[in-house]
Amino acid sequence: MSHIHINLDHVTFSYGKGQPVLNDLCLSAAEHDSIGIIGANGVGKSTLLKLLVGLELPDQGEIRIEEIPLKKQTLQKIREKIGYVFQDSESQLFMTTVEEDVAFAPRNYGLPEEEVSRRVDAALKRVHIEHLKGKSIYRLSGGEKKLVSIATILSMTPDIILMDEPSVALDPQNRRNLIHIIREFEHLKMIASHDLDFIWDTCERTILMNDGRIVWDGPTEEIMRNEKLLTENGLELPLSLSRR
Amino acid sequence: MNQAIRELQSLESLSKEDRWVNNLHPLVKLFVTALFLVLTVSFDKYNLAGLLSMAVYPLVTFTIADLSFADALKRLRYVLPIVCVVGIFNPFFDRDIVMQVGSLAVSGGVLSMLTLMGKAILTVLAGYLLIATTSMERICLGLRMLHVPSLLVTEILLIYRYLTVLLKETRRVTNSYALRAPGQKGIHISAWGSLAGLLLLRSMDRAERLYESMQIRGFHGEFYTGRQESMKKADWIYLAVWTAVLCALRFLPLTAVLGGWIA
Repeated sequence: MSHIHINLDHVTFSYGKGQPVLNDLCLSAAEHDSIGIIGANGVGKSTLLKLLVGLELPDQGEIRIEEIPLKKQTLQKIREKIGYVFQDSESQLFMTTVEEDVAFAPRNYGLPEEEVSRRVDAALKRVHIEHLKGKSIYRLSGGEKKLVSIATILSMTPDIILMDEPSVALDPQNRRNLIHIIREFEHLKMIASHDLDFIWDTCERTILMNDGRIVWDGPTEEIMRNEKLLTENGLELPLSLSRR
Repeated sequence: MNQAIRELQSLESLSKEDRWVNNLHPLVKLFVTALFLVLTVSFDKYNLAGLLSMAVYPLVTFTIADLSFADALKRLRYVLPIVCVVGIFNPFFDRDIVMQVGSLAVSGGVLSMLTLMGKAILTVLAGYLLIATTSMERICLGLRMLHVPSLLVTEILLIYRYLTVLLKETRRVTNSYALRAPGQKGIHISAWGSLAGLLLLRSMDRAERLYESMQIRGFHGEFYTGRQESMKKADWIYLAVWTAVLCALRFLPLTAVLGGWIA
């Protein structure tokens, strides 16, 4: 039986003293789960991912990642286990070349240079961008930046991958490529997206959020066909279904 | 703005090219540059001839590094006039005639102004040569080897990174303004305040996200370049030759000796 990797216990979070963005959220995810997080704009999808990687800390409740409680003192340990792909790839990349950016995390974790080099090559190969290795970050297209930002987290060999709108800025071929990469990733992955077709292609389980709460949590197939529930929560049927 | 971003990018590409000067140990280049700067600014305010001999360093380095002098002047076109302003008032304060060039009497003020300008130009060129042949990461690696505190080195690197972020944000904001203000030249003064505020907020936001990205990838205050660099024979030779040449140019009366020979 696969053990629980992520556990949220009555988590509430708000930015400043405003309305809670996440409200009494309970959630657990197991080792090999692939979870889509869907919902209209501003329902707290990105905030949930930020909390899981410790970029924000909950006001109330507890988050445990692989049984480790998420708090300031455990952030480093937890971040070694989680790879987080930002919505805006441009904000994720900051070194001068692709190689240096992908090597950034392994070097920070103190790995020997041969291992860093091996991981960089493996990560680039996994997203099929070996040819970009020496290229300057500034000269990458939007789609290439997205793939490089995925490579930067794969080089960490994380146990958990969190992705915020990964399909944005990708052309159809790169989108298909990314779907394969995500499917091949054997550990826990959580993907926040408006792209329901992408979620359907990559996730077996989907969480529907509205107003900082989980409205529905179950098999992706089931929710994607539930037009009423989707519409009530500011979404529409996936394009692949609505065209039929 | 696009031009500025392109210049920054091309300078960075230049520093990463596989040329032997680029591959020299960063510590050597840092030391030679620092030595050059110290010796250059130490010249007496009337010693223009001595100062001009220091031009050997940029001239030789431009040649051996295969860098275009014209490109350098083009890139420094905004900086050089500003540094040349240094000492512009000297001719008004120091009117004593100190030398005669043919029938032209040169006052101390003019000479000291030219010397100051020469110092400014030479030091800017030396800085340019350093960054055109050494990436910022390697410069910072050299600084760390000199035991400059990691906090300071990280600050330098981050400021350098944020420079691009700031430029890109400025480009976005000005493009967005220009598209909605067709036919208008520049940005109207009434919009300056709000645009500057917006720019500040947006670049802070971008900088925050960049920092978050670094944090979640294990950054804890120290940049690792992965290059285990040790000094090679070429590094020692480069260091020894330039130290000797620069010290000779500064401390030996070479211009007087040369002048004597010519006379």
